[in-house]
Amino acid sequence: MSTTELIPLINPLSTAEKFQLLQYLVVELGKEAGAFPLDTNSTYPVWTPYGIPAESADKLATMLAEERAAYGS
Amino acid sequence: MAVEPVRFPYQPGGDVRNESALPFLQVRLQYQRHVVDRFGLVDSGATVNVLPYSVGIQLGAIWEEQRVEIALAGNLAAVPARGILLSATILHLSPVRLAFAWAYSDEVPLVLGQMNFFQEFEVCFYQAEGMFAICPRNNG
Repeated sequence: MSTTELIPLINPLSTAEKFQLLQYLVVELGKEAGAFPLDTNSTYPVWTPYGIPAESADKLATMLAEERAAYGS
Repeated sequence: MAVEPVRFPYQPGGDVRNESALPFLQVRLQYQRHVVDRFGLVDSGATVNVLPYSVGIQLGAIWEEQRVEIALAGNLAAVPARGILLSATILHLSPVRLAFAWAYSDEVPLVLGQMNFFQEFEVCFYQAEGMFAICPRNNG
């Protein structure tokens, strides 16, 4: 399909749909150019348990200290 | 005698894209007489070490016997956890005692974090080379 055929199909779209199409094209062009290392269709797990209360780490430190005290380091 | 840093290549994660290699470190964990070998994610942003539930079970640990409740955060905020002490050996390096938050979930990798993996080892990341290096802190 050529752009000459495509443009008449795009014209009736709503403004929101045209923005969606624009967004899609930007992402696709970015992928082709290697500009977007992140894939919009992928899930990227972030495992870091960040922001744990300080007392949690303190409890683990206490466990280690108590074991050291009981059995020697 | 000082111990030379040991370098490791980044490894592809099990549940991320293959090209997303991460600093996974093979570690031998021991609890009482049980031993398992696992890859742990070396994570400087993690406040604590995290042990997946099934790994604790393979080590013979009993959830109900671990009395110290640990509050997690982030994507693990809703996961109950208990404190557990394990021996950890990395290659030829001397074993160290690591304290883990034993998570009641397998939806998490083994995480090696600030308390207390990073207290036991100096860690350097060489992202461009896809390598990281560790060195025991108490290496005399």
